[in-house]
Amino acid sequence: MVSHTMAEKILSRSAGREVHSGEYVWASPDLIYIHDILGPLTYDVYRQMNEGKGFYTGKFVIVHDHIFPPKDIQSAENVQQMKQFSRELDAEFVKGGEGIEHTLLVERGIIKPGQLILGGDSHTVTSGAVGAMGIGMGSTDIAATLALGRNWFMVPDTMKIMLSGEYPEFVTSKDIILKILGEIGVNGANYRAMEFHSDDGLKLSLDDRLSLSNMTVEAGAKAGMCVPSDEVFRYYADMGENVEEILPDSSAKYFSQINLDVTDLRPQVARPFSPDNVVDVSEVKGIELDQVYIGNCANGTLSDLREAAEILKGSQVHSRVRLIVVPATRNIYKKALDEGLIKKLVDAGATIAPSTCGACAGLHMGVLGKGETALSNTNRNYRGRMGHPESRVYLSGTYVCAASAIEGKISDPREFA
Amino acid sequence: MKGTLFVFGDNVDTDVIAPGGYLHLGMDQLLIHTMEALDPDFHRTVKKGDIIIAGENFGSGSSREQAPLVLRDAGISFVAAKSFARIFFRNSFNVGLPLALISDVSAVRNRHEVEYDLENGYIKDLTGGGEVAIEVPKGPLMDILNSGGMINFVRQELEKIRGKSGPG
Repeated sequence: MVSHTMAEKILSRSAGREVHSGEYVWASPDLIYIHDILGPLTYDVYRQMNEGKGFYTGKFVIVHDHIFPPKDIQSAENVQQMKQFSRELDAEFVKGGEGIEHTLLVERGIIKPGQLILGGDSHTVTSGAVGAMGIGMGSTDIAATLALGRNWFMVPDTMKIMLSGEYPEFVTSKDIILKILGEIGVNGANYRAMEFHSDDGLKLSLDDRLSLSNMTVEAGAKAGMCVPSDEVFRYYADMGENVEEILPDSSAKYFSQINLDVTDLRPQVARPFSPDNVVDVSEVKGIELDQVYIGNCANGTLSDLREAAEILKGSQVHSRVRLIVVPATRNIYKKALDEGLIKKLVDAGATIAPSTCGACAGLHMGVLGKGETALSNTNRNYRGRMGHPESRVYLSGTYVCAASAIEGKISDPREFA
Repeated sequence: MKGTLFVFGDNVDTDVIAPGGYLHLGMDQLLIHTMEALDPDFHRTVKKGDIIIAGENFGSGSSREQAPLVLRDAGISFVAAKSFARIFFRNSFNVGLPLALISDVSAVRNRHEVEYDLENGYIKDLTGGGEVAIEVPKGPLMDILNSGGMINFVRQELEKIRGKSGPG
């Protein structure tokens, strides 16, 4: 009996025939989504290829999230162009402020388990949180898919990640993915898919899954899928969405397997200038900070805001530090208001920013100057990622960010409480 | 062909090649900031016909196609690296920036004048005299390259489809 990984099953369904890792296939995605920064080039290229609608018949969504609110004339005009593009191709346009695309489209049930999804953004892998195969591509590939209705894919080999154990206090799935990045490196999953499994003892919430899948691209992965649990399927059933249950076969062939027992895991920090430059928090304690940033496409979830409020409640952010908190979607913001989290954060001296990719990508709302140092629960710390080429970014989970914002330097939340 | 060789290390990422803060402003702005975090003079010295050699995982990070575009627009003839990040690899062929694979980089030096031939697979250091072999990747991309890039490929495919089924 032939057995398949999730990547093989999803690409087989989309290609209309049984395919295996290593094959090249033409396939049509179920969903394509783009945003206001890389979308304009997609529009430009599309118009060179085709006039009006193409042969793509799936869902096409354009989200304004990267520079919201627009910070200058050019960014405002880019959004106008995206509205025009959505009219020409009957795409759904999501206006700015609703949320950061990867989180928002999961929240709204537009991203569904088992789907093949193309996004004009490398963090499209985040849709793997619900067991979709989300693949990032460039503007020309997206335009070509909209015109032709299909594109070519290599069916990737898959690395299986087996998670077990129990989370220690102040350790989250962000620490899991940072730990894995530290082990396999930024090239460790290039051209491959990653598939996360967990044993019955370790429950991964949807927010945990978003955090894991989001950073798989930091290892070079083409897709990073969490095997959907009953809870994930229930999430869609509650929304009235019918979804296909695509799960890996137990005898599927994997390129490699990593086993990680989280019981002994400590809070992790990635040092500049690479997300795989990872150490235990104890090794970077005391590094002085100018900015702490909480929230992006994976870690602006309600769980993250709860973690931040748990630490910051009743304390004050250090006088030298600006703390910027970005709820990933408007809905998360509302829930955080209802739970009283926002008040705790604001009382502590945090600034709540609108849902935007903002400073995570060095765009606006918290760009770093020369020589500045930030700690962030986002996903990239390359040279110049959040601003000046001589600024420095450390990456960690939300607990470490919140504790460090109070202390004004990188701190271990376990000693803090 | 002759040009100047620029040598970079492993994991040159797309934020270094095309910094995020200038993306929304278009290619002109990116051209004066490309590679500045690694080499502030790069944009002033690079000229048409120059080439880049790098280590593993060149182009890692974002899906921004502006990364291969800005190198192409800066005049870079091709990038030879030990390996390329997945999205950058596709994007480069789509926008017409050729890529080559290289295993040994020891015989050529940064900022030296070189003579190169992509088809015959070599880079020769005209100052030091050393030579390295390069290999152009193969695969289904050849159909797209032979059509003159992804835009032409799609236009031809659309003509074929519409030719069969009539206009529209």
